Amino acid sequence: MASQAATRTEPGPAAAAGRAAEMGETLLDVQGVSKSFAGLKALSDINLQVKRGSIHAIIGPNGAGKSTLLNCLIGLLRPDEGSVTFDGRPLVGMQPHKIIQRGIARVFQTPQIFPALSLQENVAIAALAKRDGQFALTPHESLRPGHPMMKEAAYQLERVGLGDMLDMAAQNLSRGDKRRLEMAICLAAHPKLLLLDEPTAGMSRHDTNRTIDLLQKISETGMTKIVIEHDMHVVFSLAERVTVLHQGTIIADGKPEQVRGDPKVEEAYLGGAHE
Amino acid sequence: MTAQAEQPAGAAAGGQRRRLPAPSLREAGIIALFALIVFTLPWWLTAIGGYEALATKIAIWAIFALGFDILLGFTGYLSFGHAAFFGVAAYTTGLMFKHVSGDVVLALLVSIVVIAVLAAVLGVLTLRRAGIYFAILTLAFAQMFHAAALSIFQEWTGGDNGLTMSTKPALFGLPMQGLNVFYVVAVLLVIGFVAARQIKRSSLGLMLRAIKENSMRLQYTGVNVWRYKMIAYMISAMYAGVAGSLMVVYEPYVATKFLHWSTSGEVVIMSVIGGVNTLIGPMIGAGFMLYFENVVQAFIGEKWKLILGLIFVLIVVFLPGGFVDGFNRIRRALGIRTKPRRPNVPDAPETMSRYHDSKNTPAQTGSDN
Amino acid sequence: MDFDALFTLILTGFQKASIIALIALGLSLIFGTLGVVNFAHGAIYMVATYFAVYLVNQIGFFAALILVPPIMFILGIAMERGLIRYFYDRPHTDQILVTFGAAIVIQEVLKALFGANNIPFAYPSWGLGPLPLHEYLPFLDSVWFPKWQLLLIVVMLVTAGAIFALLQFTRFGLVVRAGMRDPLMLRFLGINITQKFTLVFGLGALIAGIAGVFGGPVTQVNPEVGMHQLVPSFLVVVIGGMGSLSGALVAALLLGMALSFSADYSAIQQIAIYLVAAIVLLVRPRGLLGQKGVME
Repeated sequence: MASQAATRTEPGPAAAAGRAAEMGETLLDVQGVSKSFAGLKALSDINLQVKRGSIHAIIGPNGAGKSTLLNCLIGLLRPDEGSVTFDGRPLVGMQPHKIIQRGIARVFQTPQIFPALSLQENVAIAALAKRDGQFALTPHESLRPGHPMMKEAAYQLERVGLGDMLDMAAQNLSRGDKRRLEMAICLAAHPKLLLLDEPTAGMSRHDTNRTIDLLQKISETGMTKIVIEHDMHVVFSLAERVTVLHQGTIIADGKPEQVRGDPKVEEAYLGGAHE
Repeated sequence: MTAQAEQPAGAAAGGQRRRLPAPSLREAGIIALFALIVFTLPWWLTAIGGYEALATKIAIWAIFALGFDILLGFTGYLSFGHAAFFGVAAYTTGLMFKHVSGDVVLALLVSIVVIAVLAAVLGVLTLRRAGIYFAILTLAFAQMFHAAALSIFQEWTGGDNGLTMSTKPALFGLPMQGLNVFYVVAVLLVIGFVAARQIKRSSLGLMLRAIKENSMRLQYTGVNVWRYKMIAYMISAMYAGVAGSLMVVYEPYVATKFLHWSTSGEVVIMSVIGGVNTLIGPMIGAGFMLYFENVVQAFIGEKWKLILGLIFVLIVVFLPGGFVDGFNRIRRALGIRTKPRRPNVPDAPETMSRYHDSKNTPAQTGSDN
Repeated sequence: MDFDALFTLILTGFQKASIIALIALGLSLIFGTLGVVNFAHGAIYMVATYFAVYLVNQIGFFAALILVPPIMFILGIAMERGLIRYFYDRPHTDQILVTFGAAIVIQEVLKALFGANNIPFAYPSWGLGPLPLHEYLPFLDSVWFPKWQLLLIVVMLVTAGAIFALLQFTRFGLVVRAGMRDPLMLRFLGINITQKFTLVFGLGALIAGIAGVFGGPVTQVNPEVGMHQLVPSFLVVVIGGMGSLSGALVAALLLGMALSFSADYSAIQQIAIYLVAAIVLLVRPRGLLGQKGVME
């Protein structure tokens, strides 16, 4: 099931936005979501629509409720009020792997990979999960280097620039490369939605730029991306739409330029506009 | 299935990789070598102070340990309750021999089915959560079977005295005595080894190994991790069951000790001493431990268990990869190239130096690039 | 059933829970704070019984009472310093393996030194015989309960109470409780957590020491005792919820009651604890009082 799309560089956020506008469909629809923990209201009345094919950023200072929102978005947490609909269907209370099978891939704050396995094996796992679903009994199927799943893995690794290190143990990668590996794992799943959880957290300026380049490069038509971030530079280089979260509520939601100039946003970020 | 020797694209291990023969040929060679060693075990074991019956026992425990490695080595789940499968299969076989017939094949098949069911039930109870729970729960439920065998099921198991029978087991009419038993066990061991190696190189094996590496990542890749854990658990249980069953073929007597935690402990110890996640390691551990118990004990007496316990602790502390890892380290120190594969031990920093010449900067600098 | 019989059954439940409760308390403390599953804890209890019986036979019971807990405290510290602390950063599997190995070694050392046979631990003369409870509790008609078993219950309650007081009212206890919730946070706050770890492990061993002194006559003294006590203690910790001390106590009591009330059905009694464990875990996987997300 190797993707036929060649490594195509996206012309830029504007064109992608244009395409999404044509399709006009909302992939992720969040209506009136609230969530409290032990008396503390983490999220209040969140309304959010993520357009199919767009790159949507959710930003906010630490403690704004981004993690909680993320977990509600993908159905890990059940909101106290409101609903979350993904691709037309509700997404709440499912087991993580079932949520993922619906077409979501997640990149974690700290790159989550399979350390002692080779890069190729790392990505092959995702390819196999895509092909077989949640479970398949395949003890007869030997995974030699020429196996279709291994080839798919090699292809994805090539796309993220790790194509010449297929055999290397993943734990030996630098942090930046681990992030790329994780990206390749997600790509192999051909997700409808790619969720990036502070992908540039703790990265140097250099690495952050490389990550931004990578994200732009790997845009597949139709693949929606939600980026949770608090690095402004990342957000304004990538996103077509920005939602700003502060103390559990949305204080701004719109195009990057609109949000940038919003005084409420500046106030919330007082003293911490960008790294 | 392609049979060519494809060099994995961009092998970063340096250009001097030797040309390997076709994978399936290599595999056949390894199996053949293994079979040779196993089938000649009674002879070379005797040469180093052992005896024929010991060879059979070693082979039986090798099967047990092999299956155990599929669970511990691949998925990283440490079961302290595999005695339950070993013992229940032994009792099932014993009861089959005693009350039905001495047919080995029938007894084996029935035992395997019973064990599969048992493993399914126990798996549901113990596998839902992380490894720590699992270790404790497997220990507990195995102890339950032990207690039950001594009390509730005393009538069938013979309680403290064990289960005795006068039936002479036979395989397709061939009486199971002397070397006959050994060959039956040896054949099953080789089959078990082939199967285990196949699982390891299969896509199923990859998923199992992924569980150990990062089960959360696996979950977030859409995989139903629990089902794979169940499969690994059931497979390892069935290996244990075959071993327990063969034990009764070897010696028509079932002791409650088969269900005791010490039996579970023994397979853990031999697997770790030999080296988990190597398939060969646990089998070597089985041989080592049984040799120690039966041969070395003659020299040092009762203290053999203490010595073995100390060896176990020392290995866990200093050489977690077991004998196999120790062997590989010696080979590396002598300059002999070992397989350029990733380490099976969590903290083995040697591999980093192998990849320094790639354009990747070393990971230990802590910087992002 | 009349009230007397019910009362006796309940009291017996407490008694059966006592030794397990004390061992489980130490286990839970060590796991909750250090995150280490101490497979050697039963062996530690066993060592305490050996010390106790030796001192009782050589000097007397009160010598054992005074000396064994501090000795065990020191031994616990030594064990933590010498072995356990090197495993904090290693995977849980390795921690289990090394403590299991330690348990085996301890068992074999004891066997080598003192033989495999049981060493009789006699009840002290003042502890022998039954106490007429109805003379102290007016609502009872005629209830006799063995003195020693009563003492066990008292010791268990007093020790548990002391531990809870320690955790609740001292600074040390505050740090330990915080460490049980969020060990990383403590490090960031600059609190010397490793020192606390050592003390907690010693404390766990001390509690096992107390259990050994009073439990010795009940469980007897032989190399099998360690593992024999470990399994139910572990189960109790799991049933109660990993990381919850009160949960461990509640679960121990639950177990004690189950054993007591099923005494007439000896077959069930043997597997009672496992049935209870299975039921609790199926219905409430995190344990009775466990926190959600701990080891889930």
